Amino acid sequence: MSVIARSVGNALRNKVRTSAVVVILAVAIGLALSMLVANQAVAAKVTSLKASVGNNLTVNPAGARGGIGGGEPLTGGDVAKASAVPHVTSVTGSLTARLSNAAAATDAAAAGTTGAAGGPGGRMGASGTTSLTSAVDPGTLGNRQNSSSGTTTGGTGNAARPSFTIPVSATGISGSLTAAGEAINVTSGSDLNDFSDASTQALVGTTLAEKNSLQVGSTFTVQDRTMTVAGIFDAGTAFDNNAIYVSLAAAQTLLDQAGEISTMTVTVDSIENVDATKTAVAAALGTTRVDVTSGGQNLESAVSSLGTVQNISLIGFIAALITAGLIVLLIMIMVVRERRREIGVLKAIGASNRTIGVQFVLEAMVLVVMGSVVGAVVAAVSSNSIVSALVAGNTTTSTTTGGRFRGTGTGAPQAIGEAAAGGVPGGGNFGGGAFAGANQLIGTISTSVGWQTLVLGVVGILVIAAVGALVPALLTAKVRPIEVLRGE
Amino acid sequence: MLEVRDVVKVFKTGDNTIKPVNGISFTVEQGTFAAILGKSGSGKSTLLSLLGALDKATSGDVVVDGVNISALPDAKLTAYRRDDIGFVFQAYNLIPNLSAKDNVMLPMEFAGLSRAERSSRAAELLVQVGLEEDMHDRKANKLSGGMAQRVSIARALANNPKLILADEPTGNLDDETGELIIDLLRSLSHEKNTTILVVTHDHALAAKTDRKFRLARGRLTEEPVRAAHLH
Ligand SMILES: Nc1ncnc2c1ncn2[C@@H]1O[C@H](COP(=O)(O)OP(=O)(O)OP(=O)(O)O)[C@@H](O)[C@H]1O
Ligand SMILES: [Mg+2]
Repeated sequence: MSVIARSVGNALRNKVRTSAVVVILAVAIGLALSMLVANQAVAAKVTSLKASVGNNLTVNPAGARGGIGGGEPLTGGDVAKASAVPHVTSVTGSLTARLSNAAAATDAAAAGTTGAAGGPGGRMGASGTTSLTSAVDPGTLGNRQNSSSGTTTGGTGNAARPSFTIPVSATGISGSLTAAGEAINVTSGSDLNDFSDASTQALVGTTLAEKNSLQVGSTFTVQDRTMTVAGIFDAGTAFDNNAIYVSLAAAQTLLDQAGEISTMTVTVDSIENVDATKTAVAAALGTTRVDVTSGGQNLESAVSSLGTVQNISLIGFIAALITAGLIVLLIMIMVVRERRREIGVLKAIGASNRTIGVQFVLEAMVLVVMGSVVGAVVAAVSSNSIVSALVAGNTTTSTTTGGRFRGTGTGAPQAIGEAAAGGVPGGGNFGGGAFAGANQLIGTISTSVGWQTLVLGVVGILVIAAVGALVPALLTAKVRPIEVLRGE
Repeated sequence: MLEVRDVVKVFKTGDNTIKPVNGISFTVEQGTFAAILGKSGSGKSTLLSLLGALDKATSGDVVVDGVNISALPDAKLTAYRRDDIGFVFQAYNLIPNLSAKDNVMLPMEFAGLSRAERSSRAAELLVQVGLEEDMHDRKANKLSGGMAQRVSIARALANNPKLILADEPTGNLDDETGELIIDLLRSLSHEKNTTILVVTHDHALAAKTDRKFRLARGRLTEEPVRAAHLH
């Protein structure tokens, strides 16, 4: 009979006690594993949140967002100033304009109205023309905004207004990122690669391309220049797809806004420095001249509340592990006391201290392995609700919208889109509740267990159990073989 | 050959000092079957524990086949108990959840014998002490007293020891079974040329031994063996 078989046999010797110990161990180990799963799930979530939002700041002229508002435009000089701020790794500028359909604009002019163009708020105003037809119909919202715009213009009461079209958003960029610092999702064709002011390349949104029957290689006009479709992109929403991207220099030339920039995207070296850099950039450019926003505002609160969850779950994991270790320690001390005489017998017939110690550690391991198997089942059942409870209990900071959890895996990206809406070209605040809150950003945390997590958990448990079993095993060395003659 | 020279064991309990073994010397030839008699508390078990290296003598030497075990370090004492000594106890002291055969295999496992060797030798020994095959796999705690003591004798023989120390091996057995056990020990000592020291209260059993010692007030005296067993 081998040492292992003997240890298994010894572990099962007192079946009632063994069952009780296994149940207690299973609870502690199950809790430890759940905490570990929660910790890993939250850590993974934090990483993906950070990666998805990035370390970007968006700089707009004070009082302006995309096509609405007022103030003075940013310039190339501002780009240089922002670049000089510490922790800034890169600065890209973009210029957004609203292009109205050339034919419709002519009609409106012919009808003798100024339309919406050039209204004081510039609300539905267009700063250029294109041959493209907008992919978005005015609908109720468009007509209402157009008419209210007209009213504030000191308009003409109930007079019927001429039909109009929603402008197409055009953004001049100098790289492959949007004004919000996100990669443009080009679905066919290729990214822009000619960023000169004579460039005729353009990226067209899917719905806009469809509406105007454009394909890669097709042409259309912006102002007086004939542009060629280099690629078609999908930004995911009907609003964002009613847009085109051209080179920044070309946009500045075509729109006669030389050197002007409507939005700057500042990339910060790390998420930790975003806050400080935000203040520094605003100071460098003049706080009254620019508005600096970070898409990471919600992210920060999301990350910090998730950080709390991460800490709690880590402490929980360690505490549950220590508890498991203590249970093993106490049980094995009890077992050693109970079997003093037997230990004496083993020594009398020639067992070394090491042999006996190993046997007791193995016996403890048998208990722990049984506890782990049952505990893993406990963890599998309970970890999801533990994560939910932990996250729900620690993220009650900013709720602006209803559901705490979206219940779908796409919750986070959607929320990020909204949170970053301030910087989406021409997006203004049309995007709805712009800051949807940290909770939505957190979205759903999935608790699928990776094998690394399991291995880590099991190794942790075995190490703690071994430590717990070591003390009683060492106690066996103190049992003297003479014990065997006691009480005879 | 077992040689004991002026062995003393002192116990200190509080301000009391007891000397159950106080300057004992004797020599027994290899293969001798000897009895140690004495009243309860006279120090018989204490003397046995010193001979079997279960405890250390306060002073004096125990020499087994020329090796002075009083001078051995602890690690060597483990090996000494394993290879040179066999113990038989009044309460058998088998590992209760192991089978008869597994109990006998245990000292051989500690000695590093292969599984096959252990198994065949254990079976052989069990048959020698009078345990039929069908009893070999029975759990130790399911054996009768006589059977358990036979198994413990087989276990004591496992590593071919030079010396077997038996502390009241018949104490828990009825007279008839006790007699069978004593007969078994006696024949084994002669067959295997193993020195066997038996502590006993039973004069009738002591009469079957080759030599007889009496322990009283810490001293050991040899008594003449009556000619009874010669006929
Ligand atoms: N560890 C110890 N500490 C103190 N005193 C002890 C210890 N072990 C034994 N003694 C004492 O030594 C004396 C001899 O004990 P021992 O067990 O050797 O007697 P014994 O002859 O075997 O008796 P019994 O026939 O009852 O088994 C007793 O008085 C006992 O109380
Ligand atoms: Mg005794």
